[in-house]
Amino acid sequence: MSEKQVITFKSVDKFFYLHHQKTLKEFVQAMFMRQKTLEHVKALEDVSFSIAPGESVGIIGRNGAGKSTLLKLIAGVSQPSKGQVVVEGRVSPLIELGAGFHPELTGRENVFLNGVIMGLHEDYIKEKFDEIVAFSEIHDYIDTPVKYYSSGMYMRLAFSVAVHVDPQVLLIDEIFSVGDAGFQSKCMKKMNDFKKKGVTIIFISHSTPQVQAFCDRVLYLQDGKLTFDGPTEEGIALYLKQL
Amino acid sequence: MFKYWDLVKHLTLREIRARYKQSFLGLFWVILNPFFQMLILSFVFSNIMRFPDLGVPYPVFLYAGLLPWIYFNTALGASTDVLINNSPLIKKIYFPREILVLSSLLAKTFDFFLSSILFIALLLFFKVTFTWYMLMFIPIFMIQFIFTYGLGLLLSSLNLFYRDVQFLFNLILTMWFYLTPVLYATEFFPQEYRWIFKINPMSVFINAYRQVLLGGNMPNWGSLFIGAAISVFLFTASYMLFKRLEGAFADVA
Repeated sequence: MSEKQVITFKSVDKFFYLHHQKTLKEFVQAMFMRQKTLEHVKALEDVSFSIAPGESVGIIGRNGAGKSTLLKLIAGVSQPSKGQVVVEGRVSPLIELGAGFHPELTGRENVFLNGVIMGLHEDYIKEKFDEIVAFSEIHDYIDTPVKYYSSGMYMRLAFSVAVHVDPQVLLIDEIFSVGDAGFQSKCMKKMNDFKKKGVTIIFISHSTPQVQAFCDRVLYLQDGKLTFDGPTEEGIALYLKQL
Repeated sequence: MFKYWDLVKHLTLREIRARYKQSFLGLFWVILNPFFQMLILSFVFSNIMRFPDLGVPYPVFLYAGLLPWIYFNTALGASTDVLINNSPLIKKIYFPREILVLSSLLAKTFDFFLSSILFIALLLFFKVTFTWYMLMFIPIFMIQFIFTYGLGLLLSSLNLFYRDVQFLFNLILTMWFYLTPVLYATEFFPQEYRWIFKINPMSVFINAYRQVLLGGNMPNWGSLFIGAAISVFLFTASYMLFKRLEGAFADVA
């Protein structure tokens, strides 16, 4: 491994403390009753892998296997409890559509808001604005508050901002249910453009056909442990067998 | 921090725009709300319970204390909730989280300056003399800003872990209001308890505002220095705590 890795996980553990009590009152009660106040939950256990620039890696596994936790660690919003996470380059999460959007603001205002949240500069968004709107197919409604948008329009706009970020590492979490078939294929095309440009892509999906179509390699997580790391076909076959 | 200037700007704009779009009178509420509070309180305290002579008409005296207090109160309310309200963002994307607190504070600062327009009108109406000392208002405000920001960082992060913080702090705020010379002047307080005003930064700020705006005077430097020292200390300590807890925000949000 002489080549520089974009993402490196070295025996990473992630614990959560589940608070059983949300308020002080419940907490005090539990103390007196000698109930458990904190529970140790292991979301990831001894996970090691590395991803080279330009790879497209799918992360598969059942609900609660630790996929989203893994993504949070890569995005840098969460810290490992043990081990080491090293990420080189600008990471752009294609964030859950609508996070950061405000329903009362117009499409235009939300494009800027969402863009700066993703780390873009205002001038850059101004420059790309027409392109973003064109991609989203929102056109005339761009100055309407997004609360009047249909859910499809809402997602299309958010997605358009996201794909104009010019990322080095792209994190995609289950969002390809966006819009109609036409828009979906447009998104897939955009993703393939990114891939050709050498963007590293981390892709979480329950849709195995999408992972198969898109990724060269998969990481298969089972109860927080990395049980498979290798070619997509093999990993998906293993996953489907164990379902 | 400068790298994130665009983010600060747009998050602040979001707060401001969202509010005026939701209501018919929009931004006018920001001006009208404190004004009506002032009218009601002025009526009570200049007709029903009378204070001895303050040197200036009671409405002006009251407004000079009420506006900074309302700013303090609303800014802390907003920043206490800000991390909880933005949990979808916190879970998905990294940026320094103090930006969220700062933006909510800046949005309230905008309100504060907007509502001060009526204060200027009131000064004109009661023919209060304008002096250069009034410009001292700016540094005093900056110290108050640091104090509020520090407290906002502390409350927002603690509230994310235990929601009791907001309820407890609301109680404290009510008590704090009466221990701050908003409705009255410090001189009306029994001598033996006046030390409270020295260690209460909000009282220091409000007295200083009144001195420079209404008294045509310099602020009490000694008190202001203590207020500034407490503010800087609180801000530094809160910021350090905030940064220590920040890594766990996404896990509890």
